[in-house]
Amino acid sequence: MSSNSAILNVETVSLHFGANAALSDVSFDVLRGEIRAIIGPNGAGKTSILNCISGFYRPQQGRILFKGADDLTATPTDRIAALGLARTFQNIALYTGLSTLDNLMAARHIHMKQGMLQSMLYWGPARREEVHHRRIVEEIIDFLEIAHIRKSIVGALPYGLRKRVELGRALAMEPDLLLLDEPMAGMNVEEKEDMARFILDIYERRGITIVLIEHDMGLVMDISDRVVVLDFGQTIADGTPDDIKRDPKVIQAYLGES
Amino acid sequence: MEATAETIPQFFLHQAQTRPPGKVALRQKELGIWREFTWKESYEQVKAFALGLIALGVRRGDKLATVGDNDRQYLWAYLGLQAAGAAQVGLFTDATAAEMAYIIDHCDATFVLAKDQEQCDKLLDVRDRLPQVRRVIYWDERGLWNYDEPWLMPYDEVLALGRALDENEPGRFETEVTLGRADDLALICYTSGTTGLPKGVMLSHGNILSAIRLYQAVDPRADTDNHVSFMPMGWIAEPILGIAAHVFAGVVMNFPEEPETVRQNICEISPEMLFYNSRLWDSLVATVQVRMNDAAWINRNLYHRFLPIGYRMADARFGGTAPGAGLRAAYGLGDRLVFGPLRDQLGLARVRAAYTAGSALSPDAMRFFHALGVNLKQIYGSTEVTGGATIHRDGDIKFASVGPPAPGIDIRIAPDGEVQIAGPTVMMGYYKDPEGTARDMVVEPDGRRWFRTGDAGYIDGDGHVIYLDRVKDMLQLAGGERFSPQFIEGRLKFSPYIRDVMVIGGENRAFVTALIIIDFENTGQWAEKQRIPYTTFVDLSQRPPVYDLIRQAVETVNESLPPGARVRRFVLMHKEFDADEAEMTRTRKLRRNVLYERYGDIVEAMYRGDPTIRVRAPVRYQDGREGFIETEIQVMSLDVAGGG
Repeated sequence: MSSNSAILNVETVSLHFGANAALSDVSFDVLRGEIRAIIGPNGAGKTSILNCISGFYRPQQGRILFKGADDLTATPTDRIAALGLARTFQNIALYTGLSTLDNLMAARHIHMKQGMLQSMLYWGPARREEVHHRRIVEEIIDFLEIAHIRKSIVGALPYGLRKRVELGRALAMEPDLLLLDEPMAGMNVEEKEDMARFILDIYERRGITIVLIEHDMGLVMDISDRVVVLDFGQTIADGTPDDIKRDPKVIQAYLGES
Repeated sequence: MEATAETIPQFFLHQAQTRPPGKVALRQKELGIWREFTWKESYEQVKAFALGLIALGVRRGDKLATVGDNDRQYLWAYLGLQAAGAAQVGLFTDATAAEMAYIIDHCDATFVLAKDQEQCDKLLDVRDRLPQVRRVIYWDERGLWNYDEPWLMPYDEVLALGRALDENEPGRFETEVTLGRADDLALICYTSGTTGLPKGVMLSHGNILSAIRLYQAVDPRADTDNHVSFMPMGWIAEPILGIAAHVFAGVVMNFPEEPETVRQNICEISPEMLFYNSRLWDSLVATVQVRMNDAAWINRNLYHRFLPIGYRMADARFGGTAPGAGLRAAYGLGDRLVFGPLRDQLGLARVRAAYTAGSALSPDAMRFFHALGVNLKQIYGSTEVTGGATIHRDGDIKFASVGPPAPGIDIRIAPDGEVQIAGPTVMMGYYKDPEGTARDMVVEPDGRRWFRTGDAGYIDGDGHVIYLDRVKDMLQLAGGERFSPQFIEGRLKFSPYIRDVMVIGGENRAFVTALIIIDFENTGQWAEKQRIPYTTFVDLSQRPPVYDLIRQAVETVNESLPPGARVRRFVLMHKEFDADEAEMTRTRKLRRNVLYERYGDIVEAMYRGDPTIRVRAPVRYQDGREGFIETEIQVMSLDVAGGG
């Protein structure tokens, strides 16, 4: 957490849908070992920038450097996870018919070395590998306090728990950078506090750099190191939470012109 | 050594010295796997912890308070501190910081063992009220990594101190253990108490060992038996049926993975002895009934086909008549098809004896479990007599009784109907409260000490104790009819749709009324099946079909009551009674005074005959904020034969 090198550089990224500019010339960086928040009003482009980083959208202009080497805008989507980047979604995306455990185990596939045949025979190295991955997954289950739903089918779980399983799945990929898209949306105060505690623990104990999108300013300001504010697809402010709270442009964007 | 052993640590040492090296003493589920620990490993841990405490300055006769979920470190710490000659004071994990501060300070604890961040944070909040506490020892470091607080000390450091002392003074541990005497203070158990401040019940090693001997005489345990440790350690049951059984008979302790996984873990272990409080048995009845209603057609049919046979079998067995060959054959088939698999699902497959205590379990629930083939026995007692004073014997179970006095225990009924108990399990007294001790104890000229339970009851012709109610809670209506609110409440709670009830009546009341709390989960499922839309608890509770559903349950119970004591009006409450809100004790007994005070308007409105009541109820959110909900609740009146 002491290193100041950037793990992610977003450089003049622009994204258009037809004539609509979703992002125009957005630039910011994420340093190793920080919690970086992206905030902004509805439609500001928060999820768009996250989708560009994770390869779901391809921006027309600009580049996104991951660990100073790979340009994510030109990396095939299926390679991005293997580079060490994981994300959660605003609308939870899990295998709803599978158990919590299976969802987390599925996320381990990027780290699995055994081929399909060995895995099907479940013998020797394949078996040892399965045990190894299961241990990592169990540690995450313990960490996120979801042991009681280990065997429960994810689709039947309440919303707050599904959010936690999704976070677990992202952690199971053992990423260097974790993108969280509104991890606290739709939660009550207690669930939000739990989630904030988990995010801080991930950051402190696992040393994972976190990029966090939140609609609601309160908790974000408490837990993030630096905040970038988007409005109408443009960066309008970038700084520490204290700077951001005082920034007139931010206040205007949130409260509207009067 | 067993012949001379007279304390818990002495029995522990005996077990550790005589068990084969590989014999498993305890298990704990971690990362999805049951990890096993042998008596040898357990011995090393207890020794290191005990010596570590001695190195830290703990002296014989000190008190140490412990708070945390049941786990192996809790057990080792418990045995270790007693080995060092100290007494244990168990706190409830959900106690508030203020409650904890009161007890820790009152019991003069010099050290507090607090499992995790949650408990340590509470202690840090009230640190200025705990001048006697030298260190707080924790063993789950999660979240505590960045605390720079020398008051807190990791468990492993205590072990390291202990190992160092062991190297300097080998044999010190054994010497310390030998110093223990049967009349040494072992445990201070603070009773939740329905009124006033909690009282510290002092129990000696002799009290505790007498208590486990009494259970052993009724239901012998062996070292192949399993105990699942999930009851709160602050309550008397776990130190007796768990830890004392562990050191006395070598019963294997099993610690659940998380408090939320207890039910699953019980199914995995399938223990031979099982103790639930009556609330849990009641909720298990509800679970079975609801699950069966949701079950596949064939299972549901089999269940409804065979349950009456189960009831007939249970009634025959306990009515003293031998079941006929036909009934036995039918029951055998039912056991294969329905009851056996059902017991397995509930983790009761291997149970030889299951116990219930707490507030009285309804006779209906008792009958239900015997119909399923579960040997469920009622225990009655109190912390002041180290847990159980009566217990059902195999083949002598009466659904409505709490059983005959346990072996070695004498029970008598005072002229005012109060149950009094004497025997080797009667406590040493209340800690720092000689007046309270004198008030609750009758000392006869022969020196015998009888504990006054404050419970009303009688002993029937077969020597069984029948529990009625608290002496002070037996009520009389204006018309002279006597009734027990708790009895009616117990019957009503047998409905899967009712979670809690408070029954009201008295000398200034002409009839009985009830405040009923619906069971949100079960009633919600029922409503979904009936396609009744609802949003919140308040909304669901006030739906007319829900009122009809509960009315049927009340009418059924009314049929078994004398006409004068029947429930004539009830409301479905807009919120649950909450232990956090001082409305119930931690063992879910109602605090009637508080409830009368809080819900007096509703009660008066029922007696006035108002059709609806406007309520403005204070709610405290989990984050500490206070708010109000405003709503209107309905009063339901019932036609009762013989009433106006």
